[in-house]
Amino acid sequence: MPALLLVGFSLVGLMAACGKDSNNGSQATKGSTSESTSAKLAPATLNGSGSTFVQPFLEQVIASFSEKNSGVVINYGGGGSGKGRTDLQGGIVDFAGTDATVAAADVAKYKGPFLYFPTVAAPITVSFHLTGVDSLQLSPATIAKIFMGTIKTWNAADIAADNPGVKLPSTAITVAHRSDSSGTTSNFTNFLKMAAGPAWTLDAGSTVNWPAGEQAGNGNSGVAQIISTTNGAVGYVDFSDAKAANLHFAKVKNKAGKFVEATLDGASAALANVTINPDLTYNPLWADGDAAYPITSPTWIIAYTNQADHAKGAALKAFLSYIYSSGQDMANGINYAKLSDAIKSQAVAQLDKLVVPA
Amino acid sequence: MSARPPAGADEVFGARTPQDRKLLQRRRLFNSAFNAAVYACVLVAAVPLFAIIFTVLKKGGRVVDLDFLTKPIPVVTRSTGPGMGPAIVGTLLITGMATLMAVPLGILAAVYLNEYGKKNRLAQVIRTMSDVMTGVPSIVMGLFVYTIWVLRFGLSGFAGALALACLMLPIVIRSTEEILRLVPAGLREASLALGASRARTILTVVLPAAVPGITSGALLAVARAAGETAPLLFTVGATRTVNLDLFTGVNTALPTQIFRNANQAFPGPVERAWGAALTLIVLVVVLTILARIVTKRFAAPLR
Amino acid sequence: MIAPPSTTRPPEVTSGPGAPKGPLQGGSRLADQTFRWICLASGLLVLVVLGLILFSTTKEAMPAFRQAGLGFITSKTWNPAGNQFGALSFIYGTLVVSAIALVIAVPVSLGLALFIAELAPRRLRTPVTYLVDLLAAIPSVVYGLWGIVTFGPQIQKLYVDLHRWLGGVPVLGNLTAAPQGRSFMTAGIILAMMITPIVTSISREVFATVPRDQKEAAYGLGATRWEMIRGSVFPSSRTGLVGAVMLGLGRAMGETIAVALVIGSSHVITAHLFGPGDAMAAVVANEFGDATGTYRAALIGFGVLLFAMTVIVNLLARRITGRAERRLAGGRR
Repeated sequence: MPALLLVGFSLVGLMAACGKDSNNGSQATKGSTSESTSAKLAPATLNGSGSTFVQPFLEQVIASFSEKNSGVVINYGGGGSGKGRTDLQGGIVDFAGTDATVAAADVAKYKGPFLYFPTVAAPITVSFHLTGVDSLQLSPATIAKIFMGTIKTWNAADIAADNPGVKLPSTAITVAHRSDSSGTTSNFTNFLKMAAGPAWTLDAGSTVNWPAGEQAGNGNSGVAQIISTTNGAVGYVDFSDAKAANLHFAKVKNKAGKFVEATLDGASAALANVTINPDLTYNPLWADGDAAYPITSPTWIIAYTNQADHAKGAALKAFLSYIYSSGQDMANGINYAKLSDAIKSQAVAQLDKLVVPA
Repeated sequence: MSARPPAGADEVFGARTPQDRKLLQRRRLFNSAFNAAVYACVLVAAVPLFAIIFTVLKKGGRVVDLDFLTKPIPVVTRSTGPGMGPAIVGTLLITGMATLMAVPLGILAAVYLNEYGKKNRLAQVIRTMSDVMTGVPSIVMGLFVYTIWVLRFGLSGFAGALALACLMLPIVIRSTEEILRLVPAGLREASLALGASRARTILTVVLPAAVPGITSGALLAVARAAGETAPLLFTVGATRTVNLDLFTGVNTALPTQIFRNANQAFPGPVERAWGAALTLIVLVVVLTILARIVTKRFAAPLR
Repeated sequence: MIAPPSTTRPPEVTSGPGAPKGPLQGGSRLADQTFRWICLASGLLVLVVLGLILFSTTKEAMPAFRQAGLGFITSKTWNPAGNQFGALSFIYGTLVVSAIALVIAVPVSLGLALFIAELAPRRLRTPVTYLVDLLAAIPSVVYGLWGIVTFGPQIQKLYVDLHRWLGGVPVLGNLTAAPQGRSFMTAGIILAMMITPIVTSISREVFATVPRDQKEAAYGLGATRWEMIRGSVFPSSRTGLVGAVMLGLGRAMGETIAVALVIGSSHVITAHLFGPGDAMAAVVANEFGDATGTYRAALIGFGVLLFAMTVIVNLLARRITGRAERRLAGGRR
């Protein structure tokens, strides 16, 4: 038995060595053109959690940023916007991803003042899986009734009214929603509240009292998975995950009365005319404009204004400015809409408000 | 001789009348139906088992290679490609630490039960409760360690090891006690007769004689612990690079990675999950086979 | 120097004042006693840990218990955002899934046990035993992965077909409504695979302890194998089998991961067995990571409930199988 343990641990040591090697043996030593912040960052580990909406984007940016700054390790755990905000309150993470702004009542729970850094924006799709039907268009009132469970089959009158001429099967509708406290849920339900008016009777928020009989998924990818494996399913999924999972999604009627496809252009159109608050929060839902996609979701990274640790603070600042430079260029490729110039310039200016100890 | 036998009771050999012949036929029919039903049960159990093993081998086999076993977990969750290195390291470390905690304590407890306590009240209670403890859901162990350790000291590999140790302890106790019971009383008596103290007898005579059986039982407990997910879910956290320090910082393990990836809609993480599943099953099977070999080879003189 | 034969001394004597202090006697009396105390402490550890589990989890769950009162168990309104914690739909889910698993697993396990104990030709006995062991060795998360990715989508087609045929039939139509891959039924089927090994192995032991002469007597009277089993084996195994089934039930109630992945996460009390549902252990696994405050306390409360339920079931099973075991000599556990 001791012999076995010995062998086991030496194997482990071997693997650990191999693991470490392949981790550090990246292309960072290739002498690539460096960023404007060319000073080498001190080694640091940044931990973040929160929105799964922005997770695919953050992961790509982290991967690319880590290649260029080999000492900095960034871990982003996801878990939903609610978890991210709670983790930041408890000081468990250094930054949180959130698609919903912090409620006024919760501001006191944080350890100090914090800043909103917008990162990207993207459509929230109404994705569905229905054999025989590849495209649908839906009005907000119909969507509200589907998610409230009042409409139970795909060939219901309301859906047929939105889709003249389309042959709809009688399959039962399976609604998929989020089980975790989610910024995507918050934005989706806020949209329904604004757009569907009295047709939507459930409240809006990060968690909603969904009617019984609907399936819950963990994170955006969990909902995407339910939809992709269940015929007759419908749910709200961020654009990037929906595209990567090859889901079909519906055109949604916007404020101007037009059915708009969920596209990055639609999201950018929604961002174009939005009012930006001084703290850099904004609301692109149910935006004006013919081309605007009505369920465009914003997303931010929130972090404490006063950073406690020099290395971590410097790394965070560098990471954020990377998001505003190379990150924005990567956004479209990962199916996220970049920030409008107005938002971006204000965000870059806000970087100076981060207080990093010497 | 031709009287009808009472229903369902002993019957007459050699049916002579048509009624007897019909009865015999019916009984034989029931017997054949019963045989068929039992064989059907074996099939019902075998078919899904083979389906699972086949799927794991096929899908996992596509992905597992040296890269998979050693590279870190990709940053971008939905990307395809290796690996699961940190999870393998995590599983080995955490399970190893749990073994270090549970096996010695379990052996000592079994020694108490079999050598000192025997049939007294306390020993009976401990025996019963130990059996009950094997039936406690593993998620309760995870919640338990969460409340007494993680809330105070944070997530760590060690917290996961604690939870697994709680799981392994009663298994080790039960199997060790069985083995100790099989050690012939004569060995103990001889040692005591030669003037050794109780403790010395146990340590130098009884335990060495029982080592193969104890090892085998411990290996089976390790195999069980290696495959457990629930105790690790809220105690270990998640990371994508190797963390050799069990006491600081989050860690990861194969079962938790499989659980996370199973909920993903993209082929990349699901492939990695199958690869991790294959690795995990190989680990468990190897440990189980090792346990059997140890039993067969070394325990023979004892039985 | 060989000591006199042990007939002059009782074998149980510890090193007391009367024992000769020869060169073979190692360590002082203190060391001996210390070792005894160490062993005793290790044994007590089991009781301590069990007590701590009950105490600490209940304490952490108190906020939720206080919030919901008895409604925690009796109310089916589960709305964490609105601070309503009624666990009834999860308790229902746990029981339904366990029941489905038992209905499937018990006959199959009995068949397997009978096969190994009575029917199997010599060369099939070991492979089938290994088959059962292999079923037990597959980790729960692998069952779940297979269920969610492979089995679930496939069996959904079967559910849909079944519902189409049986839709009109009064009770069955309702049972088969809302067919989905992730459902009570799928979770029950996978759970059945997982509890088969434990029910089989205990049933095997119970069958193995039936006195041989009873079986031979039945054959001697001309019984067919089925009649022998029905007349000799089953009657004396009844209590042992009940114990085996209860242990299977305990295992089914506590099984977390596989159920969490395939049950559908829809807290609802419904007769639609082919539709999604939720169970106590499953919801804890799925949502604990994101839960805070009273919500988290409520999930820990589920852990308390599960602990209580499985302890009670296991104690009962122990008492029942204990009675059966005491009837025979030298039964191997």
